[in-house]
Amino acid sequence: MNQAPVISLEGVMKSRGDFVLGPVDLAVEPGHVVAVVGPNGSGKSTLFGMLMNLLRPDSGEVALFGGRYPDDEVAIKRRIGYVPERPTGRDDMNAVALGKFVSRWYPRWDRRLYRDLLGRSGIDPGKRFGALSKGMRRRLSFALALATSPELLLLDEPTAGVDPIARCEMLDEILNFVRDDAHGGDRTVVFATHVVEEARLIADYVVLLADGKFLGLHEKDDLLENWKTLWVDVEPEGAVPGIVEVESGSPARIVTNSRRETSEALLARNISIVRSRSFDLEGILSHLLRRGGKRQRA
Amino acid sequence: MSDKPAGPHVPVYLSMDDPEPMYAQIESQFRDFILSGQLPPGTMLPSMRALARNLTCSVITTRRAYENLEGEGLIRTRQGLGTVVADIPEEKITARRREPVEKAFREAVRAGGRAGLTAEELRHIMEEALLAEGAGTDQSTTRRSKP
Repeated sequence: MNQAPVISLEGVMKSRGDFVLGPVDLAVEPGHVVAVVGPNGSGKSTLFGMLMNLLRPDSGEVALFGGRYPDDEVAIKRRIGYVPERPTGRDDMNAVALGKFVSRWYPRWDRRLYRDLLGRSGIDPGKRFGALSKGMRRRLSFALALATSPELLLLDEPTAGVDPIARCEMLDEILNFVRDDAHGGDRTVVFATHVVEEARLIADYVVLLADGKFLGLHEKDDLLENWKTLWVDVEPEGAVPGIVEVESGSPARIVTNSRRETSEALLARNISIVRSRSFDLEGILSHLLRRGGKRQRA
Repeated sequence: MSDKPAGPHVPVYLSMDDPEPMYAQIESQFRDFILSGQLPPGTMLPSMRALARNLTCSVITTRRAYENLEGEGLIRTRQGLGTVVADIPEEKITARRREPVEKAFREAVRAGGRAGLTAEELRHIMEEALLAEGAGTDQSTTRRSKP
């Protein structure tokens, strides 16, 4: 599919104090769920801040729906449902008042969906935002974002502080949001998380960040198919494509990030694969994070 | 996560131990269901996202599988109406059914080659397999097995 990207970042850099994010080059096509994964302090919120024009990049280009900040700000933001990591200025309003307030800015406000989401989340509509538990505050912010009928959901750690059952319900809501039989398949979600399991369950792509360094946009299934541990009868000498780790022994243990290429190269050298084992996503991502290495602080 | 499939629930599964890529696993299972008549023409298939959700794989994988099946003429996607099993002529079904079998045999022959077996030994294994599966008495399957 060669659709125009919903999000396009080119050479984007941002420094905050001694922290530097980027350069980030990223294009997200409509209809996909993208998980931004990285440890705390890796730059996830800085990235979201730039997507929402709350932060200006020091250099590079940010485009959403083909438009740019600040010229197209209103048009862009009408199409985005954003859940920040720490919402501000809401504490004194209850769910009803918040709904009324937000609906004024969004022509496509979905009252019925908002009411349903409040009901499903068990949010007391009369209780002040500030008086709700952390998990309930997350769910209320999430309901507000969904009810604006956005084309793009930007969720910064949407499930932080949410209990496991509510977390599953939220992941389900995200998948309902991108349902292609009900919505035509061009809705997009970008969500930050440090819980790899969430990426495994619902993401199509994974963006990896480590200490401000952008470690690429990866197709999730591609990672799962290509990263393998192989045990081989003879340790290969010289360069074999795809190999990222070798542990001597008999059999020797190899980690590859391109299963087919490595197997063919081993076969050509008459090396037999004794056993092969898949990785889980967590294992692959921690490999990539380790290999990404630490950036020198500016 | 709760399971709310949109459209019919098809018994497709994915195995990470299978050397075939995920999209190919989906493709071949659908191909089998369609060519065996278990999913007759006109049957509504789950949307790409619904299938991805069901299998906990990405929509990129299910899209690739559907595109390939559509390229083969086994399914049809109509904008706004979803994906259905296509009308397939009988002779195509017959020809198509042979394909995976031929492929499996070629793979077995290659495995034999790697194990250093001769053609005669391979024929012998084939004979034994036919007998073990109870197919050895069927004339149509044994006719050409001993030249």
